[in-house]
Parts: sequence; C-alpha cells; structure tokens
Amino acid sequence: MNEIVNDRLAMPLPAVIAEAIMLEMERDDAIVCIGEDIGRAGGVFGATRGLQERFGAERVLDAPIAEMAFTGMGVGLAQAGMRPLIEIMFADFIGVCLEQVYNAAAKIHYMSGGRQRMPIVYKTAGGCIGSAAQHSQALWGLFAHLPGLKVVAPCSPHDHKGLMAAALRSDDPVVFIEHKALLLSKGRDFRHHPDIPDAAYTVPIGQAAVVRQGTDVTLATLSASVEHALEAAQTVDAEGISVEVIDLRSVVPLDSDTVAQSAARTGRLLVVDEDYLSFGLSAELSMRVLESLGFDALRQIGRLAVPDVPIPAALSLEKAVMPGVDAITEHLRAMAKGS
Amino acid sequence: MPGTPDPPATPQLERFRRMATMRAFDEACLDALRRKAIHGELHVGLGQEAIGAGMAESLRPDDAVVSTHRNHYHGIAKGVDRRALLAEICERGSGLCRGRGGHMHPFDPSTHFSATGIVGASLPVALGYAHAFRLRRQDNVAVGVTGDGGSHNGAFHESLVMAGARKLPLVVLVENNVLAISVDFHAVSPTRTIAERAAAYGALGIHVDGTDVDAVADTFARAVEHARAGQGPAIVEATCYRFRGHFEGDPEHYRSRDERNRLRNAHDPLTLYAARLTQAGVDRARVDAIRAEEKEAAKAMLADILAEPMPDPAGALEGVFADGARP
Repeated sequence: MNEIVNDRLAMPLPAVIAEAIMLEMERDDAIVCIGEDIGRAGGVFGATRGLQERFGAERVLDAPIAEMAFTGMGVGLAQAGMRPLIEIMFADFIGVCLEQVYNAAAKIHYMSGGRQRMPIVYKTAGGCIGSAAQHSQALWGLFAHLPGLKVVAPCSPHDHKGLMAAALRSDDPVVFIEHKALLLSKGRDFRHHPDIPDAAYTVPIGQAAVVRQGTDVTLATLSASVEHALEAAQTVDAEGISVEVIDLRSVVPLDSDTVAQSAARTGRLLVVDEDYLSFGLSAELSMRVLESLGFDALRQIGRLAVPDVPIPAALSLEKAVMPGVDAITEHLRAMAKGS
Repeated sequence: MPGTPDPPATPQLERFRRMATMRAFDEACLDALRRKAIHGELHVGLGQEAIGAGMAESLRPDDAVVSTHRNHYHGIAKGVDRRALLAEICERGSGLCRGRGGHMHPFDPSTHFSATGIVGASLPVALGYAHAFRLRRQDNVAVGVTGDGGSHNGAFHESLVMAGARKLPLVVLVENNVLAISVDFHAVSPTRTIAERAAAYGALGIHVDGTDVDAVADTFARAVEHARAGQGPAIVEATCYRFRGHFEGDPEHYRSRDERNRLRNAHDPLTLYAARLTQAGVDRARVDAIRAEEKEAAKAMLADILAEPMPDPAGALEGVFADGARP
C-alpha cells in the first residue's frame, strides 16, 4: 500500500481503515473478517480492499446475504477463541440481525459471570449521504442504549486507524460506525488530524479529544459532524465567537468528563448529533454534564439532532432535518447572543 | 448391592444411567422450583432424555455444543459440571455463571458448551464454531441444537446455507417434540419431516425416533462422522414428546390431560429402555438401582446447593465489560 500511495494525505479514508485491519491481522492470526462484499470487492467503500488477497478467502470471508447467520458466527468464533470482525454493510441493516448483537454478543460476558469474553468488532457504515430513510441512519444511540456494547464513531483518519486497531484488540464487543460521507473522503479533505503514521498504533476507546480550543461555547459531537462543527466554529470565529469543539469519538464509553470540564469554563454546551433527537446521545450527554457540574452550572444547553423523523430522500428535505454546517452556525450565533 | 460385586457396566447400562442422571437432574430442578429457589421461567426436558444421552457418546471434549432454552440435558451430555449447572439454575453465587445467566444462559468455555434463550439463535453461534474449526484445521464438530419451532426460523435456513456451501462441520440437532409451545408442527411445517429439508442445503438429513436412545446414539454418531470427515453439515431430526408444559406453569390449553398422560405412558424413553434391557436379560433390580442412585445423588446435590448463599447484590453492576469499563 505504502509503495503505491506515497502521499499519505491522498489516501482515501477506506484505505486507512483497510491498512489498520491489515496490520492487526498480521500481528494476530485469530482475527477473521466476515461480511458481504468484503473480499473480492474489497468492501463497497473499499475499507477491506486487499485483505482477501493477502489473507485468503477463509480469513476474509465473502458472506451470502445471510446476516443472521454471519452476525451470530461472530459469537461462535469468539467463543472458539477467535477475534472476528463482522461487517454489517450499512448500520440500517442491523434490523435483520440485531438479535445476535444485543442478546448474544453484548450480554455474554455478563451472563457468563465473566467467564466468556466476546472480542468482536461489528464494523458498519452509518450517516447520511442522500440515501433516504433506510440507508442514512447513524444509530449509535440504539447500540449505546443496549448494555454491553462499546460504540465507536471516529472522524479523523488518525482516529479511524487507531480506534480500529484498539477495537480489534479489545476483549469486548465494539460497534465501529464509519460515516459514509467520510468514507468518500481523502486525508487532505479533513480539517483535523489527517496525518496517519505508517506503523500500527491504538487510540484508546472512551477518550474524547478537544479538537479546537475556545472560550464561549463548548460544542460536543462525533463522526462527520466534527468536520461540520469545525467549519461552523471557523465561521463564527470571525464574528468574535470562540467555540471549543470536542470529538467524543465513542458513545460507549462516553467521556462526559472532558465535556464537563470544558463546559464548566465556557458555560454553554451545544451537542450536535446526526442520530435521532429523542432518548439519545444529546440528552444523555447534557444530563451527565449537569449531574457532574450541578444544575445551575451552565447558562445554556442546546441540542441539534435529527428531529425524530425518518430521513427523507429529497435534498431540500434532508437538509431540513440533518444538523449540517448552516444549522450549527446559526445555533452557535443564537447561543452566543444569549445570556 | 451389598455383598455382591457390581457386574461390569455395559454401554447399554451407561446409556440408561445417562438418561437417569438427566431425568433426576430435571426432577431436582422441579423440586427447586417448588421450594422457590428458581424464579422466572423454567423449561425442563422430561421425555427428551434419549436425545441428550444419545448424543453424548459421539462428542469429544473439544467439540462444541450450542443449545436452547431447554438445555440441561445437552450440557450434561457435553460434560458440564452438574453441580455448577444446578447451582446456576438455582441462582447461586457458586453457579456456573455466578448467578448471572440462570437456566437459559449457561456458558462453559471449558467444555465448549453454551446456550441461548432465543429460539433459532443457537445455530449461527454453532456455525461460528464450525468456521473456527475449519480455519484451524481441527477435525471437530459444532452441534447446534434447535427444536421444531426453531427449524422455522430464518437463522436455520441462513446457517445451513452457509454451512452447506462451505461444507462446514455443523450438526444441526432438531428435537422435534411436535409442539412449538402450542403450535402443532404438522399445522405449520411445509414438509412432513425436517430432515428432508437437508436436500436444499447439500446436507445429510436423518430422521430418528428420539425416544430410543440406541437409535439416537447410532444416528448421531453417523451425522457426527459425516461432519467430522469434511462432508458438510448434517441435520438430525429426533422426534420426541415433551411431558410437561413448555415452561413450568404453562396451563397447556392446547392439549388435554389425557393426551399428556397417554404420551407419558407410551413414550417414556427410560421406561422403554428399561424394558429393552430386562428383555435382553439385565436384572430389573439393577436397572431400578441405577434410577434410585441417580435420584438420590441429585437430591443430595440440590440440598447442598440450596444451603449456599445467593450472589452478593453489591456485584450486580460488575462484569458488563471485560476491561471493567463503565458506559
């Protein structure tokens, strides 16, 4: 890979992910990948490209459209001492095979009294790129609601590589949610941390990162919205509004401490979430920050998320429900004007 | 018998003892339920002992079994420590899973035995074991147990598609007790048997009388040999009868007391096998003694377990993640 792509910033994000998996598969024979179109095709976004050629068709297994079977295979493989990576092509497809994820993989360590570990990575693409209601959902709130799953949704190329490595080394099941818009990007498209070391490294799961420092508003978000937030922050910076942007990087564990520390300084918290509004990340994080700081510690709390509607097809409608750069910018302005 | 040396145990007597162990185990569970040591659902296997006992002989320690909500006999067949299993069913801290799993969710990595409370969900997990055995070039088999109800679930089809296409060493053991809770198998099955569906998956399909322990042992051995030899998956359909409700407390509106009594009288695998043994010349007293010994042992085991403490409530939040992380 390195000999072909000399300019690391020109690497498409899927190639970064494939590189992370390849390095982990080289260091650990127990890792086995199963999913639709991950082998011959190298993944519909290319995030497993080259792996089957390198590791063979049994270790990188092209599965039939039998998600119930191969999602549950992950559980059996883990019980047999392997470390499976199971790809659910789009997060939306989890509906046909959630059983094995939330009733088996997520619960078995607990149900077994700690006797059975479940080192499984469920890799899946979420997020909106205009594909309407059944192919656009983020769904990290759904996974996070079910006890026993670590839920990771990185933004930067650096974090994709490091968090994928950490997920594959974890003894717990990790749902690794990529964002389709980011999967269509190259390193140099990213504002934050596009650099990718050649060698394997891990980024710890459960630690948020302050990706822009500021003093007036704390903006916490994750996945592709981090890029939207950075763009919006830059826009309002010219207007004298200083925004601290925090990339949560994972929903479980949720690093609310880092957010609380920032919000304690700025006095304002905006949570931007591409998932649904109700019963989700934005309320959970806000509440944890309030529980930590006290209910009168903040002057303002704002939430921007998909307002509990299926994601529509038409671009004009999609823009009306997705929290994009414009909506974030407006929200920041409104919050800064407030007391 | 005092004073007389024990005659050598024949394989047939061993089979009988296995069934007697299983019957006594689930009778102890019923006793524990009456003493309120088990709360929630309890699914016992009375009437289905010949299947558990019949599968035991063909399984190696490093083969895997993934069972169902009605899993006690399969666990015993796989060699799970009976005391730890009963303690788990009785929700004790000394249980197989420290009281976190209960009777539907036993996990024993040391014997490669596990179960799931979700009908149909056992087969994909067994398929995962089968793929692991293939990857590691081990000549082990993975047994996925399901029922007639589970055979109508999509996971049955999907798992057999993948196992058949890759000739994975998966043995699907279907305990066809003809009732999916209340729904009659013949009212909902598109095929007369489940075994005949094997043709669709390139699998070996065998139907067997699941109340005849000798027949089950022979049939299961054939299926295991087929899978172990790399010839692909097998479906063993063992027809049997459930003597009690789907769960304890099931009002069984779907069958009469007379019908249930008729099944118990005509199809009890222990009674049937005891008759076969005595016909073959085995002393009736010896057969009866085996049952009495197993009953006594299970009773004593239960008494010990019931004297043990419940898990400490302080530990209820521990163990969600292996690394101790909190959400």
